Amino acid sequence: MSDVTDPIPPEARAANLELWNAWTRIHEHAPGYHTEAFKAGATALKPVELEELGPYVREGTTLLHLQCHFGLDTLSWARRGARVVGLDLSDEAVALARRLAGETGLADRAEFICSDLYAADRRLEGREFDVVFVNWGAIEWLPDLDGWARIVARHLRPGGVFYLAEVHPFAYLLSEDAPEGELRVEDRYFPTPDEPDVQPVTGSYADPNADTEGLIAYGWAHSFAEILGSMVGAGLVLERFREHPYSPAPLWSWMREDAGHLFWLPDAKNGQRHDQPFSYTLLATRPDH
Amino acid sequence: MLDDYLKANLASWDEAVGLHVGSELYDLAGFRAGQSSLHDLELGELGPQVGEGTTLLHLQCHFGLDTLSWARQGATVTGVDFSGRGIAQARALAGEAGLARRATFLQSDVYSLPDKLDGEFDVVFTSWGALIWLGDLERWAQVVAHFLKPGGTFYIAEFHPFAYLLADDSTPDRLRVGYPYFQYGEPQRFDESADYADPSAQPEHTVTFEWNHGLAEIIDPLLRNGLRLDHLHEFPYTIPGLPFSFLEPDAGGMLRVKGHRDDFPLSFSLKMTKET
Repeated sequence: MSDVTDPIPPEARAANLELWNAWTRIHEHAPGYHTEAFKAGATALKPVELEELGPYVREGTTLLHLQCHFGLDTLSWARRGARVVGLDLSDEAVALARRLAGETGLADRAEFICSDLYAADRRLEGREFDVVFVNWGAIEWLPDLDGWARIVARHLRPGGVFYLAEVHPFAYLLSEDAPEGELRVEDRYFPTPDEPDVQPVTGSYADPNADTEGLIAYGWAHSFAEILGSMVGAGLVLERFREHPYSPAPLWSWMREDAGHLFWLPDAKNGQRHDQPFSYTLLATRPDH
Repeated sequence: MLDDYLKANLASWDEAVGLHVGSELYDLAGFRAGQSSLHDLELGELGPQVGEGTTLLHLQCHFGLDTLSWARQGATVTGVDFSGRGIAQARALAGEAGLARRATFLQSDVYSLPDKLDGEFDVVFTSWGALIWLGDLERWAQVVAHFLKPGGTFYIAEFHPFAYLLADDSTPDRLRVGYPYFQYGEPQRFDESADYADPSAQPEHTVTFEWNHGLAEIIDPLLRNGLRLDHLHEFPYTIPGLPFSFLEPDAGGMLRVKGHRDDFPLSFSLKMTKET
């Protein structure tokens, strides 16, 4: 069902779909996803998401989660009272999300749609939501952020809120192979939409030891100028922008995990270093008029 | 403590005025001959909004070359700097250049400016190496918003936060992070024997205190003070004056990172509009 105007090249789409289906099978029971804890009532959302977007999500709030993977975060918003729609390219992820919605009694307020991101308009038609939500390692799979931001804006009601919690561009620049404790700049910062970064996959951010033999990832770098520019260009008004010294997943095995499942650079005394950015959050609104 | 930081930085900047007036980098002769000290970036992005009668406030203006360059373009300008020597030099230059009628200079640090200056401006402008001298961007953003007319434009062209991150011994094969991105209020102490504009000078006041700031730390308080983002642009080059050994000039004289000439951000510009 790929769209004729989809900016993702067919070989990239095929490889990433295969990867996300494989990762779905791995992630249901992976250490980095706490699926059993979620089933037992824990939220999968990070503290910063609850703090910043939480006040906008109440009983009956309609929320669209783009690139929702297997829906743990989507369903965590549903548990807080939202009526949620999760959209993802992976058919296996959507199937698992629906199963989890049923198992947790949230099926009546959670809908999952299997769709490429750039085909979302066709699947969602004219539906508008109070909140559009995107988080953690989503936009790296997209070559064209202008098109992405227009999709976000089209599915927000006037006055609605767009919230993005993402891995920091700085984190994508750094070498994975530098000696422990060293942050070394290796990759480019500025985007090259026509030249994806094509890499063999070794394990997963949620389970470094998983068998991912033969899988390949196609990704795209994004700068802050591009990210913020796409939102302004789509008519969204930026309200908040924050950067954070922790990562939602370990970039290196020597990062330290805290009780909220955030990963930090260790300092010399085995505490947390707060001096480098590994994530950011953005909140924007669609104007009323 | 804050006063100690301010005192050390002020001594350094007071002394820098004397060093910079004769330096090649500031090219006073070129300015006197009619050239603009502004770069293509500022002229291209803000220039179209600065014409006859535009009122412009320049924060942290040093000795006023950029302020007066906007005045030459027709603006009625107010330049503010914490260095009394910088302000005295700026006034002298304004008189010399026949711009005294449309240029006012005022000695003040950024934070206390609302106590010393009245009015609202069409444009608030600041640039290149200004923000590292400020520890509190919340108060800075309040000052920017305070002096902007509804519908007025804030513009900044600055060194990118990433440009301040790399270790001094970085090489093209090993660009190592050596400085904090988040400063959390406590400045770094530097003791630099060389001046950025005149490497041959031997300044007496070498100790300074500087604050790195992340992009969000710069942009977020402006958003919360009623400014709307028009653009954030980022560039893999910057103007001369950063004294890092891992930079090299390109054909146009801009600095880039050796071995990463198009990859790594060294400057940014931000344009915002105060809501009406």
